[in-house]
Amino acid sequence: MRLANTSLQALGGLLLCGILLAGCQGLREQENLYTALGGEEGIRVITENFIRQIANDERVIDHFEYSNVQRFREKMHEHLCLVAEGPCAYSGDSMIDTHTGMGITEGDFNAIVEDMMAALDEAGIPISTQNRLLARLAEFRGEILYR
Amino acid sequence: MKIILKSIRRARVPAQAIALTQTLVLACLCVPSAMAADGRIKGTGGVSSSSGAGGGGLLPWATLTGHATREEWAGSAFLTRIDIDDFTLDVAGVGINLHDRVELSYARRKFTIKASGGQIRQDSIGFKYRLGGDLLYGSLPQIVIGAERSLLRDAATARAVGARETHGTDLYVGAARAWIDGLFNRTSFVNVNARYSTANQFGLLGYGGDDMDARTHLEAAAGLFVTRSWVVGAEYRHKSDNLLALKEDSATDLFVAWFPSKQLSVTAAWVALGRIAGSAEQNGVYLSVQGAL
Repeated sequence: MRLANTSLQALGGLLLCGILLAGCQGLREQENLYTALGGEEGIRVITENFIRQIANDERVIDHFEYSNVQRFREKMHEHLCLVAEGPCAYSGDSMIDTHTGMGITEGDFNAIVEDMMAALDEAGIPISTQNRLLARLAEFRGEILYR
Repeated sequence: MKIILKSIRRARVPAQAIALTQTLVLACLCVPSAMAADGRIKGTGGVSSSSGAGGGGLLPWATLTGHATREEWAGSAFLTRIDIDDFTLDVAGVGINLHDRVELSYARRKFTIKASGGQIRQDSIGFKYRLGGDLLYGSLPQIVIGAERSLLRDAATARAVGARETHGTDLYVGAARAWIDGLFNRTSFVNVNARYSTANQFGLLGYGGDDMDARTHLEAAAGLFVTRSWVVGAEYRHKSDNLLALKEDSATDLFVAWFPSKQLSVTAAWVALGRIAGSAEQNGVYLSVQGAL
């Protein structure tokens, strides 16, 4: 019994250390994210799925009432491509300018994150690759919320 | 909420468990989803710990129950059973999250000695305040301060074993951080608490004793979202050995939690609670179900 407790503690300790080390994951060599997402075609599919998810999402659709879908599609494609270190330049407005006046709340932001997760699922992107992209997109949160 | 609390006050555990389950199921089925506070990402509210506070199983975490954002409030109710070698612990409780800032919780615990059928009942209330930071976003981990006050309804055992008090208050500060792209590219998290406590066996054997040990304790938890709905992890809770007559050890667990939706979670764990009330090392299973709105 003592052994069981000790081994359990050791296991827990290992897991804890492992997760703390996860902070250093940036150092690890991984396939280029753009390639992992399926390149140009992959990003196109993800962008289409994402637009469809948003269009069907009652929680956030009102924010896009006056959006030009074609422009959104182009800029989102460029943005995803750039964030994934693909061969693109972003020609849109800054995140702050784009979202000023929209009053995006925490809940709106998370709803959009969930729409992106669904879009990635639909495109058959594995969860590990999804997380690499989502972590990078999440860094823009401060430039998007409550503006 | 009133109905739940009333039913808990009136009934003993089996009836209370049924009432709570019924309320929970009814609430999940009847309340339109538009009313549910689901503004945060699934799983970020954690589950309900055995004290009633959002956690965690054996310890509260620096997460607030449910999925409420600063614009929303959320409520949760849970049932937990711990079945170890010589004892069982049944817990039923509720929690409220006000604007992702304040969490209030209430739990009733019933500790049963398998051999004799003897019982110790205990009530706990909890308060948690989020000082700042965020579990998932930004640079600062989510940091909370909290208090857990427990009162024994059956105080004879605690008095008999030499506890100084039959009620007491624990204070803690906790920090939690999740990395979306963490270990194995899975969303991973760590929670660390520092607790001030004089409790003996979570307060079930009262507070304080004739052989006072450390009053500050370290607690830690870590886990990993294997998928968006399945989480695995471990917890460690340092406990003090305050009674001359009875030895007390630290507690650990390995858990699996399933979030089929933001409204429901099921947690199973293997727990090692060490020596309890004169018994040898106590190991066993932990099962908990939580409904949240």
